Amino acid sequence: MYFAGVDIGSTMTKVVLIDESDNLLSTIKGPTGPEHRQLANEVMSQSLEQAALRIDDISCIVATGYGRLNVPFADRQITELSCHSRGVSSLFPKVRTAIDIGGQDAKCMKINNGKLTNFVMNDKCAAGTGRFLEVTAATLGVRLEDMGDIALKATKKIQISNLCTIFAQQEVVGLLSRGENLENIVAGLHDALASRVAALARRLGIEPDLVLTGGVAKNKGMVMAMKESLGCELLVPEEPLLTGALGAAILAKEMYLKALAKGEALPTKPRQLEKATFFSQEKR
Amino acid sequence: MVVEKKRTINRLKSMYPLRAKVNETYLKSIEAIQAGKPAVWGMLNFYYGDPILKAMDIEVVYPENYGAIAAAMGVARQYLDRADAEGFPTHLCGYSLTTLGYASRMMKELNGEIPPEAPLGGMPKPLFLMSSAAICDARYKWFQALGRYMDVPVWPLEAPLPGIKEFSIEDYYDEMVKLGVKHLRDFVTFVEDIVGRKMDWDRLDETTGLMIEVNRVWHEVNELRKASPCPMHSRDFWSAMPAALFLAGDLEDSLRLYQDMYKEVKERVHNHVGAIFDEKYRLVFAELPPWHSLAFFDKLADRGWNFVIESVGYHPPIPLDLSRVSDPLERITKFSLQFLVGYYQDALKQNVLGGTTAYPYLKYAREWRCDGALLHPLITCRSASTHLPYVADMLIEKMKVPSLSIEGDIVDLRLFNPEDALAKAEPFEETMEHYKKVRRQEGFDW
Amino acid sequence: MSDKSKGLSKAREIYLNRSQRAKELKAAGQTIIGYPCVYVPLEMLTALDLVPYQTCGDIREPVTEADRALPSSFCPVMRNCLDCALKNKNDFLDGMVTIHSCDPQEKTARVWESYTNYPYFHFIDMPITVRPEALEYFRNQLNDFRKTLETFTGRKLSKDKLESAVKFHNRQRALVRELYELTKPSPPQISGTEIIQVLKALTSLPVVEGNDLLTEVISEVKNRTNGLEEKPARLLIWSSTLDDTDIMQVFEAKANVVMNESCGGIRAYRSKVNFTDDPLEGLADYYLKEITCARTFRQATLGETRKDYARDLQSRFGYLKDIIREWKINGAIMLLVRYCDPFAFEMPSLKDYFDSIGVPSTYIEYDYTIGAMAPIRTRIEAFLETIDQ
Repeated sequence: MYFAGVDIGSTMTKVVLIDESDNLLSTIKGPTGPEHRQLANEVMSQSLEQAALRIDDISCIVATGYGRLNVPFADRQITELSCHSRGVSSLFPKVRTAIDIGGQDAKCMKINNGKLTNFVMNDKCAAGTGRFLEVTAATLGVRLEDMGDIALKATKKIQISNLCTIFAQQEVVGLLSRGENLENIVAGLHDALASRVAALARRLGIEPDLVLTGGVAKNKGMVMAMKESLGCELLVPEEPLLTGALGAAILAKEMYLKALAKGEALPTKPRQLEKATFFSQEKR
Repeated sequence: MVVEKKRTINRLKSMYPLRAKVNETYLKSIEAIQAGKPAVWGMLNFYYGDPILKAMDIEVVYPENYGAIAAAMGVARQYLDRADAEGFPTHLCGYSLTTLGYASRMMKELNGEIPPEAPLGGMPKPLFLMSSAAICDARYKWFQALGRYMDVPVWPLEAPLPGIKEFSIEDYYDEMVKLGVKHLRDFVTFVEDIVGRKMDWDRLDETTGLMIEVNRVWHEVNELRKASPCPMHSRDFWSAMPAALFLAGDLEDSLRLYQDMYKEVKERVHNHVGAIFDEKYRLVFAELPPWHSLAFFDKLADRGWNFVIESVGYHPPIPLDLSRVSDPLERITKFSLQFLVGYYQDALKQNVLGGTTAYPYLKYAREWRCDGALLHPLITCRSASTHLPYVADMLIEKMKVPSLSIEGDIVDLRLFNPEDALAKAEPFEETMEHYKKVRRQEGFDW
Repeated sequence: MSDKSKGLSKAREIYLNRSQRAKELKAAGQTIIGYPCVYVPLEMLTALDLVPYQTCGDIREPVTEADRALPSSFCPVMRNCLDCALKNKNDFLDGMVTIHSCDPQEKTARVWESYTNYPYFHFIDMPITVRPEALEYFRNQLNDFRKTLETFTGRKLSKDKLESAVKFHNRQRALVRELYELTKPSPPQISGTEIIQVLKALTSLPVVEGNDLLTEVISEVKNRTNGLEEKPARLLIWSSTLDDTDIMQVFEAKANVVMNESCGGIRAYRSKVNFTDDPLEGLADYYLKEITCARTFRQATLGETRKDYARDLQSRFGYLKDIIREWKINGAIMLLVRYCDPFAFEMPSLKDYFDSIGVPSTYIEYDYTIGAMAPIRTRIEAFLETIDQ
């Protein structure tokens, strides 16, 4: 039996295929992009190809992420908060708090026995998301993927106003023209983002083990800054982008096996790999 | 070419002793509090509550002022982050978030001790909280929210806010006075119960009389600024105002110092001495200045911009003869009401019904003969910002006076960008020149 | 409006075309008076045969005209309301009554009066406490409102007429409470979305017509055979304003919203006006004390010299406990309209209160536009996933 998790985030689309023993058969990551929003079917095809499977081989599919309603071939939609919680717990069974910093949002989750118990999100303001680093990296003329390593070389941190990305951008220009050292500015930017996200996490109350996921978790400078802001240890999965899709696949498996065991109707519907229509086109 | 910098704003000599007294009062108050004297946290309440506390010899600290201090000293961020973590939405008033974060740190982490990092001695746990309904909702909801950290009583002072047209309904004014007097009488009882002392009514009477006289003289000082060139810059106004607005320090001293200031300004008018070297443009400023970037005004003074009037929320009420009112609580009420309604009859005559705090700017522009307005909307202070688009609209429509708007904030000080603002100064001068012509064409006299 | 439609379908038609009835009445010679906030005592309008019409915003309308006078970091509901007025969507109005219930109401009222030209415009000031002198002042404010209404209409507002109007409006409050009785069963007999349609229709109709509509709706719903779907959670939403079905449907997609404690829901109808010798006293008492908007400062004991946080919470939010028990609520949404200061300051304390009585709660913010939908959807679904365990 095979199960799939499809995570359509605002920036990246992720697909994970597993079997009933949670073995990973395929993982796909690609930019979501405007044109990709309706093309979850194509990403799914790639993933199936990689695992040499057909769509009919998949027993249950869970879609998650902001684009979860644009996956018509999914059997069920579950929010990324629950899916991340499940995915993170499968990798770190003792996790109690998880922080996911994505391209356009940040979320903090309290987890108990693999289940989401409470959460907070920021998706209003770029200052608390990966977008903050993306925009300021562009202003500094630095590649986003190099930002973390640059930050680690800093000798001190320049304090950056953390209210607004646009103003931070202006501030960075001002700092550069004043001759401030690039490493120190970049470290300051990491610190500003980390303190913003840490404040969000503190709303929930932080308990160990604490796990950081999302694209930003690949950035070593950011992991360091988060540790400092939170004042505690931080675990990072090897593939921090995939925990949502992984959790979705595991939830699909659990749902399916439970129904099977109880002899209930299986949570599977006849499916075709088809294009999505947007949920905003739903009737009022 | 480098020229030795001339002092472009000609500050008043009489401002310095007044300012020194405000600072000294602050330090004395901190010493007294540190020595164990009880203190109250108060909101700027436009006179309703302050004379009562002053007459009862109770120290008052103003968390909104402390918010400004924390921002200027660069320690606000940790308190803001803390308030955020406690679940207060980040778009609330920046000063309120700073003090909510401060209260959380003091009460939850330090068991009521003043945080060691707190600048200027910090604020001790208060005896009670005195909030106010005047001007904005944050002023009483913020203090209610502080109750999450401190089990101390709150007294929200009522402050009627009449409509400009409604104000002329028969008996309307008397009803407001009735509310104020009854309310303050109960407030006195409340304070007496808490401090375990009785009000000395003679002392309250004297305090009230001095408060009114201090503000009258202060008003007269500002009237002198209608002269051309304007003898006193907004910076002197902001430096000198706390003694009248917050009743800082001994009121008899304040009265003498404001009288000295009156003499100096009067002499300048007589000798045609301006607050800046060469007054080319006369401007009105609204509302809260960028406290941390006041040097910005020197650069504008270099260009011939004189700031001749400002910040209606900080100005003393238009004087009203209250000498025949014997009850001090009635005098306090009428004096406090006058802060708003002093402008109403004129506003009604001019048919400017929108915004009790907007009309005074039309009066300022006309009587202080302003060429332009510099508006300073603040991201997290709605009360000092929401009326500004309307002010700009009315100034241009009714007075042909243009406005320049420069954004800032009360806690995120970096939002105010002086370079950016200065870059807009030159094109705005052209705008002011243009409207000077328009005003002449339309028969205005400046 | 088709003549045949009745009950819920009629409510939906009115909801989608709220101003139609007011325009008809206007054409028939009636006088229509707008009001933006539920704190305006409608009894006084009804008693003088004036038709009250609540001027609402429209979340589908991008705000453009209101930018002239209100900044963007300002209550989006009032910005939207004013925007509609400046776009002449309310030009059938003969007047407006505004009130100082909160800052945005007051600030918008000034601008509204300044930029429009209705034959009648009145502003009622409102104290923040429920102290005796504040009640007396508010009563006098209503008396001043009476004076300007009498001048405007050329008619006297008699005690008899006012008492009769109070009866009709109390009847309306009782009927709305009866309507909310129908959300008590599981599954509820009427959805939160349908209730919004009914209540928003009410605020566009003369009170008698509103009462007829409510009577029809209640009898139709009671006789429903095609029940609603039972969802896994029964929710309470606590907010300043939730008056739009698009927003409500996001919440109702996976839950039953059985109580809308906002001014788009039960808030203005939870209690009734008492008859007093001076009817204005009864009105002042009801409007200042009984409507549970965060704008009013409440405390356990008036002028208390000692304060205890638990009692403080009880005095501010205690009424929610009975609602939660009677409606068997298992989740509470604290829904904030962005920039609403009175409600925003309340959030951490309200969370403390829900925690103290063991009700799961979550905080959601929206900005009164269509664009807010996707984030709300994720938050509400995640919240339901946390309580469905």
